[in-house]
Amino acid sequence: MPISYEETAKEVLEAVKRMGFDQAELYVQDSQEMTIEVAEKTVENMKLAQERGLGLRVISDGRVGYSFSSDLSPEALKKMIDKAVHNSKQSQADKARALPTPSVSFPRLDLYDESIFQAAVEDKVKIAVDIEEAARSYDDRVVITEKAVYQESKYSVSVFNSLGLAVSYAGSYCGGYGVFVAKDGQDAQTGFEMQYVLKYRELDPEGIGKEAGNKAIRMLGASSVPSGTMPVVLDPYTVTGFLRVLSSAFSAEEILKGKSFLKGEEGKKVGGSQISIIDDGTMPGRLGSSPFDGEGTATKESVLVKDGVLQGFLHNSYTAVKYGCESTGNGVRGSYKNLPEIGVTNLYIKNGSMSKKELLRDVKRGLYVTEVLGMHTANPVSGDFSVGAAGLLIENGELTVPVKGVAIAGNLKEFLLDIDAIADDLTFFAGKGAPTVRVRQMSVSGA
Amino acid sequence: MDRKGIEEVLKTAVRFGADFAEFFWEHKETSTIVCENNGIERINSGIDEGAGIRVISGASSSYAYTNEVSLKRLLEVAEMAGRALKSKDAGIMEQLDFRTPTAVFEPFIEIPPEEVEIETKVEAIKIANQAARGVDKRINQVTVGYGDIKQDVTIANTEGIFVEDRRVRTRMSVNAVAAENGVIQTGFRSVGGTTGFELLKKDYEPDKIGEDAAKRAVLMLGAKAAPTGKMPVVMAAQAGGTMVHEACGHALEADLVQKQLSVYSGKKGDKVAADVVSVIDDGTIPKKFGSLRYDDEGYPVQKTVLINNGVLEEYMYDYQTASRENKVSTGNGRRESYQYRPIPRMRNTYIAPGKMPPEKIIKEMGEGLLVTAMGGGQVNTITGDYVFDVAEAYIIKDGEIGPPVRGATLAGNGPETLKMVEMVGKDLGYTIGICGKEGQGVPVSDAQPTMAVKELIIGGRFAESRKNAEIRRL
Repeated sequence: MPISYEETAKEVLEAVKRMGFDQAELYVQDSQEMTIEVAEKTVENMKLAQERGLGLRVISDGRVGYSFSSDLSPEALKKMIDKAVHNSKQSQADKARALPTPSVSFPRLDLYDESIFQAAVEDKVKIAVDIEEAARSYDDRVVITEKAVYQESKYSVSVFNSLGLAVSYAGSYCGGYGVFVAKDGQDAQTGFEMQYVLKYRELDPEGIGKEAGNKAIRMLGASSVPSGTMPVVLDPYTVTGFLRVLSSAFSAEEILKGKSFLKGEEGKKVGGSQISIIDDGTMPGRLGSSPFDGEGTATKESVLVKDGVLQGFLHNSYTAVKYGCESTGNGVRGSYKNLPEIGVTNLYIKNGSMSKKELLRDVKRGLYVTEVLGMHTANPVSGDFSVGAAGLLIENGELTVPVKGVAIAGNLKEFLLDIDAIADDLTFFAGKGAPTVRVRQMSVSGA
Repeated sequence: MDRKGIEEVLKTAVRFGADFAEFFWEHKETSTIVCENNGIERINSGIDEGAGIRVISGASSSYAYTNEVSLKRLLEVAEMAGRALKSKDAGIMEQLDFRTPTAVFEPFIEIPPEEVEIETKVEAIKIANQAARGVDKRINQVTVGYGDIKQDVTIANTEGIFVEDRRVRTRMSVNAVAAENGVIQTGFRSVGGTTGFELLKKDYEPDKIGEDAAKRAVLMLGAKAAPTGKMPVVMAAQAGGTMVHEACGHALEADLVQKQLSVYSGKKGDKVAADVVSVIDDGTIPKKFGSLRYDDEGYPVQKTVLINNGVLEEYMYDYQTASRENKVSTGNGRRESYQYRPIPRMRNTYIAPGKMPPEKIIKEMGEGLLVTAMGGGQVNTITGDYVFDVAEAYIIKDGEIGPPVRGATLAGNGPETLKMVEMVGKDLGYTIGICGKEGQGVPVSDAQPTMAVKELIIGGRFAESRKNAEIRRL
């Protein structure tokens, strides 16, 4: 796949320079994707995708202009350049807006697995079918396949800029997920499980299917519990949902703008003493890893919270200048259509020292949460959240009956401080990872 | 791309024995502007062009897309999509007779956004920003987002549909942050529709949008935590339609219904709601965010009555789900872009207004919670359990509106909630949002009259809308 965009980049950057701009950056992305969706052993949908595009950032006297194009013809490139230049004139001047100083070295990462693309399509259909079979044979009551899916992607990213930076890398990943419904009389419950990996051979379709089936079955017969304040244990998947909300609170840009509840908390205790939160774009074998970020800065490991104390924030080149520090390599781009914004790479909570069993043992009566509804409505600015939840009741250290129809609420600040135990079962779901976590007490509203 | 080229692409796609092939081409020009920290931080313009080819054979379908749109490349993609399906014997397709279905709704764009100078757009944004900041000293951050989109599409299929269309949408949102004594609160307001720049020139005043967002943030600084537990709830029309969207909208989409993934599967003709409840999905309302001339499969968009006086009458269909029941699509086949296959989606969904004056509903309810602004929400369509978050609410005591409370999450069960609707007002209020399903976001609007529900679970503390003022829903 690696097509060289160097010639195009050179032409674009020179054209911008001729228009009097001292700084310009071209981001190029090229990707291919395949998705196979199976239900009842039949391929329901197959999707094949191919996309490429360019994003141009121009900077003059701290004024930034941006435009993008998926059309690489000379006329389209000309239009893209004109738009970026025109847009820059209307934007607010800010001296901190400049291209990053080019990194001198980049982490060496093995992100591409050719064996994904050597395997036959039939084998990949079989992966999806295996997910389905594992779930359906887990229990007779798993009766509906909403979806069993295999997915793969390969991509290349290049960044060129007028400071002489010209870097690129290629990566790939594959994965699968399954969504199934278990029924018992009138009662119907959904179970979901996913796995995304860099290496084809690491994919475990049977594991995905079994776990999805188990999750659906164990929720059958669920009912609400009376409202009250109680200890709450969150499974790794649920915790990664909270990490998603927290990720913007760790952004230095949100801090600068007063849009994070972590503002002014540096060096202070923001979480239980067992908790350490890390963002690391250099982790081997993880989906969020890359040698450099969306503006060509080398990625690194950033310890955000250590033993409950807030260490620092995530930076791109802009906030680094504002803070007088170095970029942490978190100038992430969702696509060539967007400017590099602060984002996470692999964000995870470090393992604790106790087993999940030990963590549950001390809970006399509490809620074990496996699913939350409406996490996207949590507010990273104030930290307030209130979400629907489902899971299992904990009684005398054991998981007993299934629970649904309750809401858990609180503030992320207190939530982090109230974390009093962390298990040793760190699990990654794409770019986010967490172990099982126990919160001393939370308000649970039920029937 | 000319008709002849498209015909060739379709013929190539079905050559391997498929039943149906469809071509979707899109050329999209977008401009987005973000103002934050009292200055224009981001201006982004882009052109996105691409085409997707869908092939259906029996219960299987394949979809392939590319953003390299030469005929040569499209023929390769068509062959790829066609070969991806295991089909019967191949046959050569005869001449295709293309025709364009008659649309029932014609959107009217008064001021095309591409004809408006970026300076004029920036000016409107700055007005909203200044107005928001002027509301109160405690406003310490304001984010104004503006976006417009011009999407040209060509849709053609082997049934002979051929549609060329232009869709234009404009939106603005304001998110304000207020802080005092370590408490941070936010308030938002967003407007938008299938409309041009008249949105901000005639239909809405940018300063008013900014003020509304800021006032909400300041109001919430002084609000107490909402009570928890079960209680009667009045939803004001101005709060918009998140509840109807989540409580029954998604579960009436035919793909979920046919897969037995909906609480409403097999319930056509059944009484599923109180008599006072009629639910309609209508893509033909002028200027609304979910209005369209044709859906993304080339079917004319229509007004579809889903629930009529409490009785379930119809689901929302796209081509594929309609074909399975030998029906015609209701014009609900939508997609985010050429990168996605179409699936049944809502357009503008609302509960039809009744006869009661809204004040009377509050008076008769006596005690409970009055919801005056809703945020996003989510639903599990199999159980019908849903949640939505509340951005602004008040306590109702002795039939009067009492002090504001920090919005809680409201949780309920769709079918149960619709049966517990006791009073429906004569007003109707819309909100706009980006509705997410299977990873695809499409613009929708939702509306409800002021209405009273006997009881809902109020989930404790506070969860306001997320920072991008669009009311995202999942």
